[in-house]
Amino acid sequence: MRRALALAALALAACGKLQGTGGIVPPLVTFNVSFTGDLTPLRPVGITETKSLQVGLVWGAQWLTEPFCVLPAESTAAAAVIAAGCRDSYGFVPARVDVSAPVAADGTASLPLFQLPTADVLIGDVTARVAYASLVVYDDRDGNNILSLSRPQRLPSGGDDGPSTSNTPDSADIIYGASFLTMTAPDQRVAYREGAFNTTGAFYPRAGCGAPPPGFSIVAAGGFTPMSALTATLAGTLPQEVPATCAEEPSATIVDVTAQAPSVVDEVGCDERTDDGSSRYREPPVDAPDLTDRVSACAHLSTFETGGLAGFDGGAVDGGAADGGAGLETSIVQFVVSGRSTDRCKGLTHYTLRGCRESVTCALPDWDFTAKPPSWWTCH
Amino acid sequence: MRAVAAVVIALALVRTARAEGPQPFDQLPAVSSRGPLSVDGGLVLALPATWQTGLSTGVGAGVAYGRTFALGVRASWSTSTESSLAWTVSHDDYRLRVTGAVQRAAGRGVFALRLGLGPTMVYEDRVRNQGARAGLTGSALETTALAAMPAGELEAVVTVHVGGPWLMLMSGGPSLLVSDGAWHSGWGTLLSVGWQP
Repeated sequence: MRRALALAALALAACGKLQGTGGIVPPLVTFNVSFTGDLTPLRPVGITETKSLQVGLVWGAQWLTEPFCVLPAESTAAAAVIAAGCRDSYGFVPARVDVSAPVAADGTASLPLFQLPTADVLIGDVTARVAYASLVVYDDRDGNNILSLSRPQRLPSGGDDGPSTSNTPDSADIIYGASFLTMTAPDQRVAYREGAFNTTGAFYPRAGCGAPPPGFSIVAAGGFTPMSALTATLAGTLPQEVPATCAEEPSATIVDVTAQAPSVVDEVGCDERTDDGSSRYREPPVDAPDLTDRVSACAHLSTFETGGLAGFDGGAVDGGAADGGAGLETSIVQFVVSGRSTDRCKGLTHYTLRGCRESVTCALPDWDFTAKPPSWWTCH
Repeated sequence: MRAVAAVVIALALVRTARAEGPQPFDQLPAVSSRGPLSVDGGLVLALPATWQTGLSTGVGAGVAYGRTFALGVRASWSTSTESSLAWTVSHDDYRLRVTGAVQRAAGRGVFALRLGLGPTMVYEDRVRNQGARAGLTGSALETTALAAMPAGELEAVVTVHVGGPWLMLMSGGPSLLVSDGAWHSGWGTLLSVGWQP
């Protein structure tokens, strides 16, 4: 009886601290990064100091390169444009830039995350979806405490219809390293998994490795070769990783990032206007575009890009759209131009004599110069 | 013709209803309450004890003994949930009171002014939003705390003898609570069914 009374008195005197919706908010997860390397020899010309070295979490996009970049080049000129204007088809493409944290003098950084990745970066259905992120080390030269992305710089369009075609200046931020740069090199990436894991999913695949654990984790893969990727794709499978290079670790695992030249790692900070592999076309201007420091070529469009049509007359290539999407050449010619060598991001500008922004074979073209091409047009 | 008939019938019904009028007082169920003891219990609606927002809902019950002056004890539990970007917080408020009331009968009704004093215990449950999806467990996902604070309220109570020993009670009024050295004002109401033999 006395004990009961004592317990009752203790309960009445309980003075725990109520916090309500206030108080310190603990992060959902904290990632740890170790950055090594000397930045001095890696700095671009004209950059003499590091303003604010940060590490940022960048969630990856499900991105497909455009057909011109993956089909065999029809000429050496076209091959030169591909080399100068197409980004790595297996590279990491940013979808959303998340939090950043400063890198300490000893190269370590802790990156707390207070929000889950949003649904737009989770790939898969609601029962099995995953997101991958790269930890990017950069010099925050614009001082906004977040990695600012760049976009490919394109040549102007001849018309003034449709969405703005003006370019956004390259970001001032300089990237010096990333934990996940491309699928063809060893990587360490942040994974966030909800539900089951789809082993056949082709979103930055790690076939041959274990599934990421549920929730946050750090996973690694050794990378595959472009040839093995091509072979696997033709066979309808995913390129295999070497199991010995795989790892599925807890989120507290230290992620090692090595300093690299910005020219090598810049692409991890390059945003893309489209992610479905489609090309965007532009109306040829009256005056010749400025091709200084750009690589250009005349190239035939493939049936991938014309919906199976062989030409503007509407005729179909043998097999047409039913050719299984073999990417046969059509009679439609484009003038394709790469970006400048000084641009942060690689990109292509496609000029066609007839078409719309999203299709060269649209029924009602926004422009049609097939009868009278501009004087500078040399593609026939 | 049909319309005329309908109007006549409707008027007849209205007249019938008017003729019935309110139920005579002596035809209401007889009241058998005679004793000084009353017990009641019902639905509690109140401002959460330590929050100045939201609505705490629950149940409460009490016993009182007396006629013009009545003493009693009461207890109630009510709960409320609020959320922010980071937290979903539930507060369970347990109120224990010793009450004293001054009351006066008027026909079938009793009007009273009731003062209650005693501890209010708040059990707090905080869940980190998105924590389960992120794989958090234990105290990283959910924390609890219990706090007891002195409190009191002054309530107006209206009691109606429905029939036999049964009562219907409504009460409500301001409340005061001391938490972390600060006064928190609030309010509370109770709609309950009582029994007075």
